[in-house]
Amino acid sequence: MVSPILLIAVPLGLAFITPLLGLLWEKPTRYLPAAGMAFNLVVGLLLLPRVLQEPWVVRTAGFPPPFSIHLMAGPLGVALSLLIALVGLLVAIYAIGYVREGAVARYHTLYLLLLTGATGMVLTADLFNLFVFFEMLCISSYALVGYSGDRAGIESSAKYLIQGAVGSSLVLLGIGFVYGLFGTLSMADIARHVGSISPMKVFISVAFLVTGFGVEAAVLPLNAWLPDAHSSAPSSISAILSGIAIKAGVYAVARVVFTIYGAGTIPLLLLVVGVLTLLIGEMSAFSQNDIKRLLAYSSIGQIGLIVFGLGLASVSGVRGALFLVVSHALAKALLFLSVGYMIYRTGSTEISALHGMGRRMPVSSLCFTIGAFSLVGLPPFIGFPAKFTVIMAALEKADPGFTALAAIVLLGTVVEGAYFFRIVQALHFKAPPEGAASEQTEHGEAPVSALVPVCLLAALIVAVGVYPAVLTDYLGPAAMDLLDKAAYIHHILGV
Amino acid sequence: MSFVADYLHYTGCFGLVLIGLYIVLVKSNLIKIVIGINLIDTGVNLFLVSVGYIQMGTAPIFSEAQAAGREMVDPVPQALVLTAIVIGVSVAALALSVAVRLYEHYGTLDLSRVRELKW
Repeated sequence: MVSPILLIAVPLGLAFITPLLGLLWEKPTRYLPAAGMAFNLVVGLLLLPRVLQEPWVVRTAGFPPPFSIHLMAGPLGVALSLLIALVGLLVAIYAIGYVREGAVARYHTLYLLLLTGATGMVLTADLFNLFVFFEMLCISSYALVGYSGDRAGIESSAKYLIQGAVGSSLVLLGIGFVYGLFGTLSMADIARHVGSISPMKVFISVAFLVTGFGVEAAVLPLNAWLPDAHSSAPSSISAILSGIAIKAGVYAVARVVFTIYGAGTIPLLLLVVGVLTLLIGEMSAFSQNDIKRLLAYSSIGQIGLIVFGLGLASVSGVRGALFLVVSHALAKALLFLSVGYMIYRTGSTEISALHGMGRRMPVSSLCFTIGAFSLVGLPPFIGFPAKFTVIMAALEKADPGFTALAAIVLLGTVVEGAYFFRIVQALHFKAPPEGAASEQTEHGEAPVSALVPVCLLAALIVAVGVYPAVLTDYLGPAAMDLLDKAAYIHHILGV
Repeated sequence: MSFVADYLHYTGCFGLVLIGLYIVLVKSNLIKIVIGINLIDTGVNLFLVSVGYIQMGTAPIFSEAQAAGREMVDPVPQALVLTAIVIGVSVAALALSVAVRLYEHYGTLDLSRVRELKW
């Protein structure tokens, strides 16, 4: 049986091999990320049935918990690392053809490091280890945002780096408080003793941790970097940042709030922050004329919805939030990837430049439409059952306050629908701008290496949307993994 | 006053963190901001080490502590700080290389004049 530690070790090893191989022979380095992620996908699929029965605690140094660092391959960890591997694989295939200029080998190194960081974050059971993987993810994404080296890329990379570095310092400060209070870094051990400390002391450490991880999760007051960073990065990086990186931040917040500290009153804060993030994100997206900035703001809105689902702090709410994590990762990756070659062909990110794209790049436009409809939440796409689960979870509370919040969330969806329909209309029903028709012959559809991942993502969105049971079977155990503190402590510490 | 004297090491590290935060928030020169980030890092690292410090403790080497008949300081925060220092250095290196590229593009390191992207 393969060990979950390979999920981290193999991409990390490949990340070290890539620049060495790049010195000798640069061409094959572009296939390494795809190979690593394909390996992770297979290992994740092999592990999934086993961890659903019994979570697998990996002792990396041979000492029994709570000493040394452990990996906890539970349903949530393996399910999320599968999602990371799947989106990572498809984006890596896309990047084989898309990333051709600049330091190609370094791009693939950083890309692998980013995915290693994300995978490590969802698997680790140690608070400081979580921070280390978090920093791996952050540092490689700072560098990747500025990869193209143009003005916008460097400017947004600087902004992202400053905010991210301060956020990481806050996380480390929070870890210092936790270690001072509990004398341990094992998440299960902290969770076991958290009740014996006065709530005020606990509050200080949790405030630092949630704020620090919240910067990467892009919740409302901490997301000023996101629209710049996600819109200035190369499209393949935007896809992975929107699809995976912010989800890793949300995962860290959820793990700290639910598993380590055990709900309390923090979910209420998450609820309010989630709704505000949703509204601000969707309304800012509505007023954008730049397609990539629009998609970045729409990511903020979707993160708000995910945080709202988590804030409900019920099993169905967390299930809905996890469903949304999957649906947004697939749909947003699809949107950024399909729009990548449209921008490449037209040389402009303005929405007006995309008029009539439905005729020039029919497959990309169709896939973009599928992704947009899925994000809005139209059936038969994956976004519909995901949003439906969250709204149902809010109504289940049978409380007028929650019903009002659900209504606000639906209002956000209406705004979302308005701007996505505007783009879909522009793609399919508007006449192309002057001069574009003559270039039609040479500037056709995107190459096959880009169309394959885009079509696969679109097919997945439709398939899971038509038959959500393939996913919902795993969401219940994954949500319990996050919420059931006693079981988490039991699996790791055996008490 | 005795509180400050008893917890002088904590006062010192949080003082450093606050000075760093002030620099990051107020200064607009990227190099100064990088220095501010480094000050925050240093403050946090000192905080981590002082969390594991014991009055009159020796270095965490088992045989030496026994021979001296004294308690050892906690080695775990020191291991954490080693890792955190490495992370801090790589962030600083990346930030400085971004500063170089920023200067190439804009001819200035003043971030208040580098604002082509807006909300």
